[in-house]
Amino acid sequence: MANQDELYAEAVAAYGAALARLARAYVTDPDPARDLLQDIHVALWQSLSRFEGRCSLRTWTYRVAHNVATSQVVRRRASAPTLVGLDELEETPAAIDADEALDAHRALARLQALVHTLKPVDRQLMLLYLEGVDAASIGEVTGLSAGNVATKIHRIKVVLARRFHDTEAR
Amino acid sequence: MNDERVPDHLQRLWQGQPEQGRAMPLDELRYRSRRLTRAVSRRNLIEYVAGAVVVVVLGRAAWKAPFLTMRLGSGLIVAATIFVVYYLRRYGGAKAMPLDMAATSCLAFHRGELERQRDLLRSVWKWYLLPFAPGMILVYLGPVLAHPELAARAAWPAAATVLLFVCIGALNRYGAKRIQMKIDALERSL
Repeated sequence: MANQDELYAEAVAAYGAALARLARAYVTDPDPARDLLQDIHVALWQSLSRFEGRCSLRTWTYRVAHNVATSQVVRRRASAPTLVGLDELEETPAAIDADEALDAHRALARLQALVHTLKPVDRQLMLLYLEGVDAASIGEVTGLSAGNVATKIHRIKVVLARRFHDTEAR
Repeated sequence: MNDERVPDHLQRLWQGQPEQGRAMPLDELRYRSRRLTRAVSRRNLIEYVAGAVVVVVLGRAAWKAPFLTMRLGSGLIVAATIFVVYYLRRYGGAKAMPLDMAATSCLAFHRGELERQRDLLRSVWKWYLLPFAPGMILVYLGPVLAHPELAARAAWPAAATVLLFVCIGALNRYGAKRIQMKIDALERSL
């Protein structure tokens, strides 16, 4: 088994960019997002002293990142806007004109805004889905059953398709 | 338009963000890790010092109290303060990030954190209010036993203390109820 420092280097080489995207998906402002990312890196490095290979390095890394980020969101819950679930988003019509032309930059900004409104578990799912993590691994990271993951990913696709169906052509 | 293609497109868009996923230098990680530990130790020390100040002030009051029951009551309040500081340190105090957080799924971790906060608020009667009750009763009872004619005058501060206890208990129960609603919402969303 590689040591803590080597595991950290390996994890960041593979998932460092995803961690940076995750931090910005949890915290809107750049400075707090940078602080969160540093907290994630420190927690990841610390935690890897206990890594025994019982799960993949990817699962381990995402668990640490989401747990650190979620606990910070929970801590700030008093000032946080009301968060919604995927089921509520499914029922809510898109706030913008569906025919409005959107470039990639604006689509990304809207996608981040959408992620910011989500409750913790749905946010974790959405981010893991956007990172292209497979359903079985999403289940491992989040602790949701395979059936639940499948249902929620279907909901995510419906929500995204409904709200972003004009961006694909750009 | 094929709606299934849209999420795939968004996945590419999301993953294509210009992010720099650089590792932090190991010296920096070690430094921040030590700083985190020191910050937790400092917060714990502040809790101890605050507790010690209360103990000294009340201990002095206990020593100088004019009636035996008041001295006993103050002594019990000192003991209750020590217990509350210990309890908060043990169950609710500042903690560093648990090292085994990756051994827990996000769902279990999130639920565990909420349950811990809920239980702390819900049991405030047990670990915060009740330990102070015997001491408070003796402190108020002391002068009344010695001078029964003062009973009416002592009733007001005693009633105010009971009201304060009830308010603290009710506020904490309300807080616990709100956290329980979050836990219920979490369960429903699964």
